Amino acid sequence: MRLSRTLALGASMLVLLSACSTGGGSKPTVKVGSVGFDEARVVAEIYAQALEANGYTVDRAGIGLGSRKVLLPALESGQIDLQPEYIGSGLASGYGGTSTSDPAANRTALQKVLDGKGGGITVLDYTPAVDTNALVVRKETADKYGLKTWGDLAAVQNDLKWGLATDCPTNPVCATALKDTYGISPTNVTLLDACSTPMADALKATTIDVAELCSTGPEIIVNGWVRLEDDKGTQPADNISPLVRNDLLAKVDKAAFSKILNDISAKIDTPTLAQLYYDVAVGKKDVKDVASAWLKANGFVK
Amino acid sequence: MNIVAATAAWLTDPVQWSGPGAIPQRLVEHIGLSAISLLVAVAIALPAGLVIGHTRRGTAVAANLANIGRAIPTLAVIGIVLPLTAAIDPQLGFKVYPTLVAMVILAIPPILVNAEAGVVGVDRDLVESARAMGMREGQVLGSVEVPVALPAILAGLRSAATQIVATMTLGAIFGSGGLGRYLVEGIAQNDDGKIFGGVVLVASLALATEGVFAAIQRAATSPGLRRPKVIRRATVGVGT
Repeated sequence: MRLSRTLALGASMLVLLSACSTGGGSKPTVKVGSVGFDEARVVAEIYAQALEANGYTVDRAGIGLGSRKVLLPALESGQIDLQPEYIGSGLASGYGGTSTSDPAANRTALQKVLDGKGGGITVLDYTPAVDTNALVVRKETADKYGLKTWGDLAAVQNDLKWGLATDCPTNPVCATALKDTYGISPTNVTLLDACSTPMADALKATTIDVAELCSTGPEIIVNGWVRLEDDKGTQPADNISPLVRNDLLAKVDKAAFSKILNDISAKIDTPTLAQLYYDVAVGKKDVKDVASAWLKANGFVK
Repeated sequence: MNIVAATAAWLTDPVQWSGPGAIPQRLVEHIGLSAISLLVAVAIALPAGLVIGHTRRGTAVAANLANIGRAIPTLAVIGIVLPLTAAIDPQLGFKVYPTLVAMVILAIPPILVNAEAGVVGVDRDLVESARAMGMREGQVLGSVEVPVALPAILAGLRSAATQIVATMTLGAIFGSGGLGRYLVEGIAQNDDGKIFGGVVLVASLALATEGVFAAIQRAATSPGLRRPKVIRRATVGVGT
């Protein structure tokens, strides 16, 4: 009895699976990874579910794996096959390249570096969405000192308590850019994870007055904080591209596979990204639910 | 080999040895925060452990509380305490107090359980003789039970101190000072020398703490409780 039921279930699963897959032949398992924060996890999950909808099997063990320090070696050694990457920061802090505010140039430069890594890694199309490093202050701080831009911060830098990213001292687009372009090298600095809960909590608790957060960070909107303008354009354009190992692309229909991901990336603009991030971080919704709702709403999955 | 070289280079760089954020400052912060945490934990757990051991009341409750204390993840304690203390004091309440509270909670179980078990383990005949000699309960505890239980009590302090020194590093995630800064910053800055230099420093400090407390424990143990040295010497003598 039980055996026949299992068989029936198996058979129906097979039917379902084959109905899902569009092309013939067996499709390889795609190991998807991402860095740890909510925005990257939800984008990785969207790519993962889109691939599943197209008949691929996805291994999610690498989603939310850790920082770039962990993730890039995992990608290079083939422990993961695909990961969404912020191309500007990936180039600058991951591979020591020089990133600009031009996403196309960043992509080209990153592709050049990745050609020689892990047997070749391809940078697919980037999203129109940009998530860039933002300096954020509380409304009352902005009012008190008349702050609108990063340049405004220079004159009052030592009246303020700063929260900067833990990697800031050695990150060319952080400490170096602040010092060389804006003449900002504050004395009272607390190093915390950028785009993280402790950083936002510290700004909220008035432990710090200036916080380095992600521009799409939901806590900026929720708390009515003021995002200051990087008036001299020092921050790299951090559009998101999926990075895919070439050995995986060799096993699949490369054009079709790339199209699945590129079509999705094209639909993710900055408000979309901020909303996805908000739903997970503030709305406390499950990453998988947020991803599948967005894919359905945009017609990628029925 | 790369890591060893990077670590050695980092540790021997003169930059690491003077100025703000250099090793001496971080070391002082680490030892200072550890010492304060240990003192607070001792103030709470030691009297409680001694009284429970002496009266034999509430031993089950103490054991269960201690086990709960052991089971709470330190990182979670920091996360839970932070919003409360940060509301009181935005600076120390964010960067220092949460870590201190977490360290105190971490240190209470070993101190409490060892003090209690040490006192409970004192020979009953000894305690009864003390009472028969007319000692009051406080004297029984202070003059008989505590000296005899001292090795166990100090073993609790030793394990608490070592745990604090090693776990204090977590506070760096929330902006606390101490040697944990090197681990957190080293990972973020992709600097192997800094990470493993920090690891070497933390591990050395933990071992040194262990050593200091072991020495105190030996020195403070009543001669009557030490292992008879004569026999050990004799054994060595036979061998040579």
